[in-house]
Amino acid sequence: MLDVALVLASSGCWFAGALASASPRAPERLATGLGLLGSLFALGAALHLLLGGAVSGLDFRVWGLPARLELDALSAAFLLPLHLVGGLGLIYGQRYWPVQLAWGSGRSLRFFYGLLVAAMTLLFLARHGLVFLVAWELMAVSAFFLVGTEHEKPEVRRASWVYLACTHTGTLLLTAMVILMAQRMGGLQWTALPASTSPWFEGGILFLALAGFGFKAGVLPLHFWLPSAHASAPSHVSAILSAVMLKTGIYGILRVSSLLPGIPRGVGGTLLALGALTALYGVGNALAQRDYKRLLAYSSIENLGIIAMGVGLGWTGRATHDPWLMALGFGGAIFHVWNHALFKSLLFYGAGALLHATGTRDMEALGGLARRMPRTALVVFPAVLAVAALPPFNAFLSEWFLYRGLFASLGRGYPWSAALGLVALALAGGLAAVAFARFFGTLFLGAPRSELADHAHDPAASMLLPMAVLAGLCLAVGLGAFLLLPLLDRVIAAAAPGTPALLAAGLRVDFHRLAGVELGLLALVGAGLAWLRRSPEAPEADLPTWDCGYAAAVARAQYTGSSFADAWAPVQPGLRARRPRLRGLFPGGASFRQAFREPFGEVFLEPRVVRVAERLLRFRRFQQGHLPVYLLYVLLTLLGTFLWMLLRGRLLG
Amino acid sequence: MLPAMLPAMLQFLLHGLTVLLLPPLIPGLIAKTKALMAGRQGPPVLQLYYDLAKLARKQAVFSRTTTWVFLAGPVGGVAAGLVASCLVPFGHTPAPVSFQGDVILFAYLFGLARFLTILSALDTGSSFEGMGAAREATFSALAEPALFLGFAALAKANGSLSLGTMLAFPGSLTTRFTGPLILILAGWVIVYLAENSRIPVDDPNTHLELTMIHEVMVLDHSGRPLALVLYGASLKLLVLGALILTPALPRAPHAWQNWLAFYAALGGLAVGVGVVESSMARFRMTKVPQFLVAGVLATAFAFLLMLV
Repeated sequence: MLDVALVLASSGCWFAGALASASPRAPERLATGLGLLGSLFALGAALHLLLGGAVSGLDFRVWGLPARLELDALSAAFLLPLHLVGGLGLIYGQRYWPVQLAWGSGRSLRFFYGLLVAAMTLLFLARHGLVFLVAWELMAVSAFFLVGTEHEKPEVRRASWVYLACTHTGTLLLTAMVILMAQRMGGLQWTALPASTSPWFEGGILFLALAGFGFKAGVLPLHFWLPSAHASAPSHVSAILSAVMLKTGIYGILRVSSLLPGIPRGVGGTLLALGALTALYGVGNALAQRDYKRLLAYSSIENLGIIAMGVGLGWTGRATHDPWLMALGFGGAIFHVWNHALFKSLLFYGAGALLHATGTRDMEALGGLARRMPRTALVVFPAVLAVAALPPFNAFLSEWFLYRGLFASLGRGYPWSAALGLVALALAGGLAAVAFARFFGTLFLGAPRSELADHAHDPAASMLLPMAVLAGLCLAVGLGAFLLLPLLDRVIAAAAPGTPALLAAGLRVDFHRLAGVELGLLALVGAGLAWLRRSPEAPEADLPTWDCGYAAAVARAQYTGSSFADAWAPVQPGLRARRPRLRGLFPGGASFRQAFREPFGEVFLEPRVVRVAERLLRFRRFQQGHLPVYLLYVLLTLLGTFLWMLLRGRLLG
Repeated sequence: MLPAMLPAMLQFLLHGLTVLLLPPLIPGLIAKTKALMAGRQGPPVLQLYYDLAKLARKQAVFSRTTTWVFLAGPVGGVAAGLVASCLVPFGHTPAPVSFQGDVILFAYLFGLARFLTILSALDTGSSFEGMGAAREATFSALAEPALFLGFAALAKANGSLSLGTMLAFPGSLTTRFTGPLILILAGWVIVYLAENSRIPVDDPNTHLELTMIHEVMVLDHSGRPLALVLYGASLKLLVLGALILTPALPRAPHAWQNWLAFYAALGGLAVGVGVVESSMARFRMTKVPQFLVAGVLATAFAFLLMLV
């Protein structure tokens, strides 16, 4: 009772903070304080619950019908990243997007940011179809306004409209799902269905949930809104969109499936395969990006694919009553949700710091920032290692979970999906390493490629602090993951009712040794650095890179990010290059041009949507704008309904 | 209690000493083999030890574009190699640390070393080093699936995810796993040559920077960082060599026989690499991915054979 009230109060705090920031008289400190207070409330409640508190609920009535808010381990698992990233983003946003901007977008940004967090908090508590849909819509719409913060730019407007269309298509599917669920549960209140009575109904619910929530989670082929929306939004908003809002799709899938009596066996394998394809597609396109925020967005698609693989693995375990597979699959998915929230918000904050300092999102214009922004480079570095799933950082452990799960399912007779998953996970890891070596190498290392990068400087402390906190957490989770195992066990028990707590008992020893080995690695790195530090004194000299004897190396001659990833052009489906044709012995001048278009959204879908939209223009003549015409429509509809009521009995017998 | 643990402690000690002291011998053996095959005298087998001792006393020179990332490559490479060496069994003597899933850590530790090396190459801002980094990134991402598919096949064969159990699989040479095992080892030899930048993938002795892969990435290192780079490379030869040799070695009843067999096999591997290097040329750069894909296919077939 207390926990759920705390979380509700947190939602209220954020809402009040949003209102306060909308009013020009209230000081900014008030709104920030309210938001941070709300985050503390929610974090406290979620941690209390995950550490062993009881599930707490709150019953009330909506229009005379019973409704319920509840805080269980699954909700708490998603509240944790939401309020961590939400609170840190509030601190970060103070200097990143000051209130006093010329075009006055600072206030609307703060208002909708608060609203977004408040709505998502409510969303994770809702156990009632209508409350859930209202919170979902509130989240979707405030995210729309956040994406469109810089609406004076045409590409931002476009991105936010595409996002709005997609999220509403998803909502439409979810509304149908809620109606089906209400039919089966005898009311809008969500209760677990005891036994399967009609597989078609449950299959329909599951399909609608996968499609509707899949739009939000960016699962292939419903991902196409995501890259431009994330690239267009202000960076701390991109962070919360990527770290938490995409995960509401995963939350929804887990929540709805936990209410269903069973998952058909094939669905888990299908989701696993779909997740594997999504991961490869996301990382392949991440390789092709010149815009570093878009690169991060594609990497989010990859990570959501990995999470979907975990859910699919868990479902396979659930269908075959294999608790170990369930624990590894769901555990890996939830763990990766946390880890991705940590390192991806850190990366987006870092991207924001770069954008703030240089004003460009083009990687090829930057370089050498590690010398000019040393603190930023230092705190972004752990996230770069984490996103490539390298030890000793956190994401390595969640992928380790998935590898174990996939190997386990290999031994238990589901070889094909597991084999596909294994290869996809290994390849995605390798490609992510290439993409992020490119990211860090092109942005931070080498010499600056333009004036923009030359005058960059570290951001203010209030922007660095949230990044430092996240970087510390990336390492801490990587080393202390064995402390999280009991927490994960509780979440799994909520995501798949009736699962015994296996992780804490089964993986503790492995995690202890893993942590020991990782500590050994850190100690060796420290020893190596100390040895290098004590090397014979070299004379202080300002020397250039040797560069194979070229005396005057120019920054333009450096390898660019695009050429770094050029060998992987075959796995970058959206990259179109116009190569020059050189003929004869002495060809004339030539130029090379390369552009990226989102393969599904822009290349495949857009022309078709435009064509359909043109066809639909025919219906325009029904919209005359005269009141009598609309009254006529109302009358005709009523008449039609009456006729149907009259004739229904006769027609249907 | 103590006397019972003594043999194990001795084993670990020997393991540690092998890891620390033996690696620089392997490049020396390879170079000697190549020299003898070419009818030359060649440098002494212990040449790398002398080089390391000299480099450790030398001053390091740093370019003005480099940052701390420049040191991350050498240090990270050695640290990851040393940690990975604790996870792999040398012949049929058990690894000092083993747990379920250590094979994934093993693979990702090499990924970490490679990632840091690439970053430290990019840190110089040199176009040649960038080129080497891009090639290394590409080829290693192709080698990774071969390693993983081999692990998957071995894991399927003996139901374990620990390197110690997977590699030192008793009877692996006599059962129906022989065929897949040969395919895995063939694929891994390709990985071995690629990861250690040997001919036919890369030529460690080439003179033209444009044709280098690994060597061009460490052009700017000098002094102690270069010593770490060279030591890390030889460590990789040892650790990945243990990965290939262990499944192929017969199990002996006594520990000392196992150690002896391992050392002999390691020497044989070094000589084998030398023979390969002497008898063929480096592939054209466009052919290298095809060679690596052949490795992936070999391990993939092994995996398929295990599945059906």
